[in-house]
Amino acid sequence: MSSLIGFLALFISLVLNLFLLSSIPLINLSIVRFNFLIRISAILTLTSFFSLMVAYVTSDFNNFNVFQNSHSQKPMIYKISGTWGNHEGSMLLWISILSIYAFFFSFSKKIDDKLKKQTLLIQTSLHILFSLFIILTSNPFLINSVIVDEGLGLNPILQDPGLAIHPPVLYAGYVGYSIIFSLAIAGLLQKEKNNEWLYLAKKWSLISWTFLTGGIALGSYWAYYELGWGGWWFWDPVENISLMPWIAGLALVHSLLMIKGEQILKKWIIFLSILCFSLSIFGTFLVRSGILTSVHSFAADASRGLFILLIFFLITGFGFLIFLLKSPDNSGKINLLFINKVSALVINNVLMIVTTLTILLGTIYPIIVEVITNERISVGGPYFNSTVIPIMIPGFLLMSIAPVLSWQTNKIKNYRYYVIGFILISLLVLFYSYFTIFNPWGILGLILGFWIIIASFLAIILSYKLKLNFNFFKKINSHIAHIGVGIAIIGITCSSVFKNEYQYNLKQGDEFKIKNNKIIFENVETSNEKNYQALRINFVITDKDRVLSTIKAGKNYYPTSKIITTEAGILHQWFRDVYFIVGEQKNNEWFIKVYINPFVSFIWLGVIIMIYSGFIGATKR
Amino acid sequence: MSQRFQRLLLIIFSLLMVSIAIVLILLNSKENISYFYTPSEIINKDTNNKNIRIGGFVEKDTFVKVSSSLFNFNITDNNHSIKVIYNGILPDLFREGQGAVIEGHMLKQNIFKATSVFAKHDENYMPASIKNELEESGYWNKNY
Repeated sequence: MSSLIGFLALFISLVLNLFLLSSIPLINLSIVRFNFLIRISAILTLTSFFSLMVAYVTSDFNNFNVFQNSHSQKPMIYKISGTWGNHEGSMLLWISILSIYAFFFSFSKKIDDKLKKQTLLIQTSLHILFSLFIILTSNPFLINSVIVDEGLGLNPILQDPGLAIHPPVLYAGYVGYSIIFSLAIAGLLQKEKNNEWLYLAKKWSLISWTFLTGGIALGSYWAYYELGWGGWWFWDPVENISLMPWIAGLALVHSLLMIKGEQILKKWIIFLSILCFSLSIFGTFLVRSGILTSVHSFAADASRGLFILLIFFLITGFGFLIFLLKSPDNSGKINLLFINKVSALVINNVLMIVTTLTILLGTIYPIIVEVITNERISVGGPYFNSTVIPIMIPGFLLMSIAPVLSWQTNKIKNYRYYVIGFILISLLVLFYSYFTIFNPWGILGLILGFWIIIASFLAIILSYKLKLNFNFFKKINSHIAHIGVGIAIIGITCSSVFKNEYQYNLKQGDEFKIKNNKIIFENVETSNEKNYQALRINFVITDKDRVLSTIKAGKNYYPTSKIITTEAGILHQWFRDVYFIVGEQKNNEWFIKVYINPFVSFIWLGVIIMIYSGFIGATKR
Repeated sequence: MSQRFQRLLLIIFSLLMVSIAIVLILLNSKENISYFYTPSEIINKDTNNKNIRIGGFVEKDTFVKVSSSLFNFNITDNNHSIKVIYNGILPDLFREGQGAVIEGHMLKQNIFKATSVFAKHDENYMPASIKNELEESGYWNKNY
């Protein structure tokens, strides 16, 4: 029943959108009616989505999709998240978010009606394309041809609270760029002279970017504790393609900041808007098309892949074609000086785009090589580390002082403080690493991270009157965001450069020492949970005879799908994580891997600060 | 500064950045790329201790647990198989008869020292490259 409602709602919303698109040459709908229909379409799409969710929650195995991806014994949260834990459902989620954005956009006020209508029309066209894709190739509402009373189950590795909310957050980021894309194209088509729409673009691009940040961070955090590889970023194609719209989106947010200085690179902003959405589609769909081989990609289906590529080229091609044909003349004069805010923002944008290109090249390089030479290769993490990081370094140096640069002149207020600060930090870090671990990348990362934090604090103290109200926090928002980046850089540097790995073969009762901590293999316990059996080894960590904590690491066995998952045990501390993985066992001897990951918590802290300031920034005009 | 000059400066700067990026890429690509083979392809190939990846299936009844962290098994594409030695933790989905990708280098003819092992990540997952190979060699089975 719910499947039928779901399908009908999806279909009617498609028809409604087709009507909206065709209404343009035929009848002139008033903006009020137009908005109304857009909202109805959004509600229909959401109805469709929630019908699928109902089918999952009630374990309605008459629905083929539910049968394939769910199981009645699953905990409720994974029944709900099962809705988008598969290809078909995630596509329905994608289009639901697309219509939610259209829904909210239809309420925006500071935009003239013609432009708003045009923007929503482009959004409507996107809706039509993706609905067709779902209905023709990935229908989640197919009826099961045989009657069954149990489902096949969700892949246990996906049964995790972090991953349950990861796709909606990530998609909220990806799909948010659709509104900016539509806005930019609409602006081009109308030859919009008024720059008011740029403020809207700034708001929506900040919202999308913030969601994207959250989505990527959740995915990364999941990889950290669920995959059991000891790291949080692997330069896997799936990760790379989410990073590309993120960096391009960052460039967009920064180029939109130039509205404040009344110096607008309009062409560039429009180009970035189109690029961000293209990269987002590329991101969601390239993985699914089966063209890219990734260690964690969904199964491929050739017909889907073709359809996806078609949509991708249609949207991207259309976007860039309009851009080439109708791009506006740059009338505004740009005030580029040796070091003022405009030049800093331009340099930042160039660096970010080059970074995006570098990642793109590395990600699609295997495809190119395979087409040309028929050899299959994979590009590993070292490539990305040795290209992306050096390119970003000048940008990191610049970002520490960029917010206090002036729009018009070359002067930096109180520049002496910054110089002294920089020298002090460099000396301290050098001095410290000379007596501990001397690693050039480590030194560089630490100097950059601390410098960004200190310079941002200096800038806040020197340039603003300290007040404790919301307005003040709005004013210093860009500095706060940069402090977040600085903290994350320290976390990233330490956790990758100063990471340690230890391996042991241990019996019950054995103990070993890592630095000042004694760790005891206390016992092995097994238990039956709702839909899995758990095996856990208890490790007692002591620091100078004081028991710090007991960490459980082990494995889960899921009888439904006959899959074992490794469950890492992590002791989170402010300055390091102690990370346990349990391997195989022979003659009661267990293989144990322990990673000491310093400052990992700083990465998550930095990300949280960035997300906070992303949302604060979106409330600003 | 005239506007044209500024624009020129901007373009030169971006070109410079892009060329630096490309140089970095070219310098690094040799070490950072690992080639992917199937067991049949690798068998008569001299790989000079280079880092490579091999994809195929874990051959049935060849998995030996030497100790809790040392494993021997064969990777096969149903035509040829390669002996693999691996020290570490096997991925969760690693099983005999299932698809796996191993990374490492050849020790001598037919013996491979793996530094990492990837198993298929999803119940339905099959690396596209292995799928092509299997289809070509006629061993593709829809149930894999």
